[in-house]
Amino acid sequence: MKKLLVMVAALSLIVAGSAFAAGNTGCGLGTTIFKDTQNQSTLVQVVAVTTNGTFGNQTFGISSGTSECAQPAKVVQNERLNEFVQANLDELARDISAGKGETLSTVAELMGVPAGDRDAFNSKLQANFHQIFPSPGVEYAHVVDTIVSVSNQG
Amino acid sequence: MRRRGARPFFFFPLLLLLLLPSPAQPGNDGYLAELKGEASLRRLQDDRYWDVLLFYKPAAGGRRSLVDDPKFFLSPGGKRDPGAELSATLDAMFDDSMSPPARCRFPARYEWLKETLAIDPARMPGPDCPELDNTLRAINPMSASLIFASGHMNAPASMFGHTFLRLNSAYESPLLSYAVNYAATINPKDSGIAYAFKGIFGFYPGYYSILPYYAKVREYAAMDQRDLWEYRTNLTEAEVRRMALHIIEMQGVYMDYYFLDENCSYDLLFLLEAARPSVTLTDRHKGFFVAPIETLRSVLAAGLIDNVVFRASTARRIRHKAKEAGEAEVAIAKSLASGDVAPSTVVEEPLPPQSKARVLDLAADFTHYLYLKKEIPKDAYQGRYLGILAARSTVAGPPPESRPLPVPAPPESGHLVSRASLAAGVHDGSAFLEAAYRPAYHSLEDPVEGFNDGSQIVFSEAAVRWYPGDEKVRLQRWDLIDIVSLAPRDAFFRPVSWKVQTGFATRDFPGDVESLVYELNPGGGFSWNVSPLGIAYFLVETDLAVSGRFDHSFALAMGGSAGIARQVSDRWGVLARARYVYGVLGDREQGRRFTGSLKFPFRLSRNRSLVLEGDHTEAPSVHVGTIRITWNAYF
Repeated sequence: MKKLLVMVAALSLIVAGSAFAAGNTGCGLGTTIFKDTQNQSTLVQVVAVTTNGTFGNQTFGISSGTSECAQPAKVVQNERLNEFVQANLDELARDISAGKGETLSTVAELMGVPAGDRDAFNSKLQANFHQIFPSPGVEYAHVVDTIVSVSNQG
Repeated sequence: MRRRGARPFFFFPLLLLLLLPSPAQPGNDGYLAELKGEASLRRLQDDRYWDVLLFYKPAAGGRRSLVDDPKFFLSPGGKRDPGAELSATLDAMFDDSMSPPARCRFPARYEWLKETLAIDPARMPGPDCPELDNTLRAINPMSASLIFASGHMNAPASMFGHTFLRLNSAYESPLLSYAVNYAATINPKDSGIAYAFKGIFGFYPGYYSILPYYAKVREYAAMDQRDLWEYRTNLTEAEVRRMALHIIEMQGVYMDYYFLDENCSYDLLFLLEAARPSVTLTDRHKGFFVAPIETLRSVLAAGLIDNVVFRASTARRIRHKAKEAGEAEVAIAKSLASGDVAPSTVVEEPLPPQSKARVLDLAADFTHYLYLKKEIPKDAYQGRYLGILAARSTVAGPPPESRPLPVPAPPESGHLVSRASLAAGVHDGSAFLEAAYRPAYHSLEDPVEGFNDGSQIVFSEAAVRWYPGDEKVRLQRWDLIDIVSLAPRDAFFRPVSWKVQTGFATRDFPGDVESLVYELNPGGGFSWNVSPLGIAYFLVETDLAVSGRFDHSFALAMGGSAGIARQVSDRWGVLARARYVYGVLGDREQGRRFTGSLKFPFRLSRNRSLVLEGDHTEAPSVHVGTIRITWNAYF
């Protein structure tokens, strides 16, 4: 009997899971992927937090994929960088504006900026914040391309 | 202990039979038979590592796997028959008609058999596993950390915490590593109560998942206000690789999830055993409740941890910055976040650059937080956030590091969660002795180190009392559940405080009569950190009491309570409370009561404490007080 219930639950989850997956949030600032619990009632959320449950499908999210948004120019063939910048755009914007932070240093590492050049890299990006993030709807491709070109300037 | 009886399921074996491999190709028959012979000669099915990989645990009549998903087993009887599973696994490794090939689907089993039986890869069918190689390359596991997420500020039950693993890559930045989580996948259509029931009784399937660590940081630290403790293990690269193979093997395989024992924390221990089978972790936990902190303790005790790094939640960082900034700057930051003030005005103000940077950082963090909590819509957020950041970028350079954020005591420094108490006291002029026990977890009077301040969760605490001269010992109270969440409000965060308590308690009735009543007492309100009082709170409460001693057998009362909870030093604290409720239904006369109490908890050592307390109750024709001293031992 329990087995059957689990099967039914699993089946309904597949349906529910695909419904969640359909909620594409687009590109640009504020497209951070939301936790599924955000759509739940407060009570369910409290219980979920309590017992560490998750809604929808538990995935093996090795690669989140970046295909639905515009791609950076050919110079940047660094899938890991693209993926990270897309998934952390808001945090990266904050770090660049302040000239420091973990997200920014992760980008520096992905771009192979030597440890000794990191301070200069950070300042350069901070000084060019307006160019890197010109508008609220800015896409990650522009961000990556501009970071690369700005950091290559003398 | 395990509650699941025999449940023969009929159609899975049939289904599996259809999928079972066709006989291995002729050339390998001899070699396969040779390997099987050696495996059975060496009784590999009884090898500890086979138990670890297949989740076998002793059960009535042999061993049984904790995995409930039939597709995890290559033999129809694999769940209960380690030998048949081993034999079927060897068969499958030599079967190149399977898709995906068994050696790609179950790489940890394959690697172990290959190594143990010294299998010659040249004599096996050899499709490569490109997908597996890609996955391993992406994860690039070099070392591993055990991550402990502390409790959610306003969900006391979550203060059990949560644990997951992080497979550290060759990258310096931990954000580029992957997190391995085990969790119940719950039905979003269920109500909270159905959810709790199903979670506890194993109706939800539990799955392992892999997600980028930055996603977990966002989920816990940014959105849920939970701090993360990153315990770096000393597992070697080879051990971590084995663990990664095992995790890949568990992809999409479910185990029934039991909130109390077969939960997130317990099932992670299997992964650590797969990495280093010489440590035994899963056998240490035999109680009915396995708390994440207990699994963390056993991993620490097994000597697997090298060091720990603290990652403060966004809320903690915002609070710390706010303390640095002072009220005036906080007010500006808040008006920036609410959109009332344009960021450019902050830049133009005659403030030192350090103040500007601080105000704008604070405003940006808070705006982002509000958006993550869906308190501001996306279109408003985008422009506001970018405006604040653009202004921030004009304030050159990072501000000089001010006072670093204070790191709280790590979770393992807290007291153990079971508690036994002995008390002596005087109630209404009569001396008494009392003994109490609770299996879990933490109360406001317990030493706070390692726990969330202002959170209490008590499960099933029972106390018996004996008055000299009495013939017998009497049940004084039995708290089934007693939860309190005092979440202080501040300039940025406005949580609600609440409590819910239910159980049996002894009440005084007119004429020196005492009687056990059933109580249900929920409440909600607010609390603040008020220096020097500590956490000050008030709660609106309802109080339902059921007993034959009441007219109509019950009394429903409403009222409120106010109090303070203060940690004076790491040694002692003060808890003071006044509560008044007024009868509204049932026995309205007896429903009315006033109670005042004062407690001084004193920490003797990590697992010993004393509490000195006094209380007084006023009800119609009842005027009684209690004074007592209690000795608590945690184990």
